[in-house]
Amino acid sequence: MKKTPLALLLTLGLLNIPLSAFAVTAPLDLVGPVSDYKIYVTEKLDELARHTQQFTDAVKKGDLATAQKLYAPTRVYYESIEPIAELFSDLDASIDSRVDDHEQGVKAEDFTGFHRIEYSLFAENSTKGLDALADRLNKDVQDLQTRVAGLTFPPEKVVGGAAALLEEVATTKISGEEDRYSHTDLYDFQGNIDGAKKIVDLFRPHIEQQDKAFVAKVDKNFATVDKILAKYRTADGGFETYDKVKDNDRKALVGPVNTLAEDLSMMRGKLGLN
Amino acid sequence: MSNTETPQAAPPRALRWAVAGSVMLMIAAGGLFWYASKMAAAKRQHNHDEIVVNIHPHSCEPNALTVPAGRASFRIVNRSERAVEWEILDGVLVVEERENIAPGLSQVINANLQPGNYAITCGLLSNPRGTLHVTPTAASDAAAKAKPSMVAFVGPLSEFRVYLAVEGSALIKAVTALNHAIAEGDLSQAQSLYLPARAAYQRLAPAAQRLAELDNHINARADYFEKREQDPAFVGFHRIELALFAQHTLDDLAPISQRLLADVSTLKQQLLVQSLPPEQLVSIVVRNLNSLADVRAASGEEERYSHSDLNGFAANAQTAHKVVDLLRPMLSKTAAGILPTIDQALGDFDSQLNALKADGGYVGYDTVNAEQRQQIGEKARALAKALDGIDPALGLSGL
Repeated sequence: MKKTPLALLLTLGLLNIPLSAFAVTAPLDLVGPVSDYKIYVTEKLDELARHTQQFTDAVKKGDLATAQKLYAPTRVYYESIEPIAELFSDLDASIDSRVDDHEQGVKAEDFTGFHRIEYSLFAENSTKGLDALADRLNKDVQDLQTRVAGLTFPPEKVVGGAAALLEEVATTKISGEEDRYSHTDLYDFQGNIDGAKKIVDLFRPHIEQQDKAFVAKVDKNFATVDKILAKYRTADGGFETYDKVKDNDRKALVGPVNTLAEDLSMMRGKLGLN
Repeated sequence: MSNTETPQAAPPRALRWAVAGSVMLMIAAGGLFWYASKMAAAKRQHNHDEIVVNIHPHSCEPNALTVPAGRASFRIVNRSERAVEWEILDGVLVVEERENIAPGLSQVINANLQPGNYAITCGLLSNPRGTLHVTPTAASDAAAKAKPSMVAFVGPLSEFRVYLAVEGSALIKAVTALNHAIAEGDLSQAQSLYLPARAAYQRLAPAAQRLAELDNHINARADYFEKREQDPAFVGFHRIELALFAQHTLDDLAPISQRLLADVSTLKQQLLVQSLPPEQLVSIVVRNLNSLADVRAASGEEERYSHSDLNGFAANAQTAHKVVDLLRPMLSKTAAGILPTIDQALGDFDSQLNALKADGGYVGYDTVNAEQRQQIGEKARALAKALDGIDPALGLSGL
């Protein structure tokens, strides 16, 4: 239905929307950032595969200390690309499901992947009986690489990924439930945040064109989160365990994380992908 | 103090009344708000647009859903004791999902669904999966027949840009190795590294040919220069080919191979900067195949010193496959009729080339007779013609 200019002006006036909000990004302008995101995800997956190999080698060698040390720095690559990784429901379940997802709990046959291995390494302080689980994790990660290589990234999932990552932080990281045996949640936390920031950075010019204030607000909240996380950095570039995070810092994270989740969920609309 | 009535006593009393009044007002407002939200909740229960799904400890209810195509809202109510997720799956791929729905709470999932059969997961991974049947509507039928919009090409075009990036890196790597062998003075090593470098270039050739001048530095044949092979402006792959395969010398070749390495690095950069409109995704491949059919197949002029033409033709074919695969989902949706013709033509061209394979590579083109060359040309032309059908079928030029 065509609207007369007057009707359009009236509608805009009534809704109090500035005209600039309609300067929608041309679809072809999204090709650059969407493909750059695939390149980013591919690089992270290469890192994930390399680190998973080292991690599972340590597990299979029975080197408990090394395996414990490598657990969190390996996972972080998965966490940063979760919007794409979790599109493959079967692999997401076998690589990253938590004990709650399984009726039989820790003993469930199909409880595999990072968190099952985490349970043995940190709750039982053992590498016993993990060989098959280690091999499976390696295979699943390689399988994920192959599948992602063959996947045409849906633009709306790429852009929507920023909000999805922040929702992930809001629901599973602040509560400390993701890495309940190792308490290495802050690694995953940073991984989610970095993955979301990458998406914002890729589309930054397009969004800035129509809403500078939006980008400034998002940047400010990212900075607040980063600053709190940085307090818990350790000398080796890692993070303190989550039980060390003070109550007031946990509370201080809630606000910016929720605001980011909410704001980033508007990116799809801003880029004409709803 | 309590006995001394001060003149200020009156205002505090008034203030007290005011406070009491506003408290009353707030209670009334609160009551109204409570009433309104009750009404809204009741309304939501009966909202026909929203499909309520209850997640019990071991099942979803209902577990078999049927909805019309288009936008649908699902309200997922977690009636189990654990945080759960609910997903709509197309095969193993997640279409929409909501994670971590807390016990006792509910969340809404909005999905824009295409007709078809989907699976739904509910709660625990061991719980039985449900089904979601999305029925076609008049609108979805019309949308299926309609030509795709520009947004639909963002995915395939992005994927093609990733292909250019990956193949661009492969080309740089291959030319780096070639350059190294030349610098080391290893003629036979340089000869064998010429082939993978050419294959990498030929995968990019359809896109590279848009960059006329740069491409001339990389790929021009001697014929294009006034003094032909003696012309100092004759550089690039074929100048190197001339030295490696006809003159059998590496003398004075190092600066030329260094220049080639710089040029292919620029090429990758430039290919990623250029934006490619949808109609060109197909037309560059068609043009590349037509040049094969019209000139390169019959004459063997492209690799006249090394006779490695088939190595390049096969690389051209790979890019044609790539483009078809990127557009395949769209084609099968709106123009499924032309896919068999395209696949047939791709297969015919492949088998024509495969028949000339030898020792992990291809036979020298100087051993390919005129009739075989004609066959190659015809298969390439047939493929180009089949691919030409994509533009009108998807309405690429009209975008």
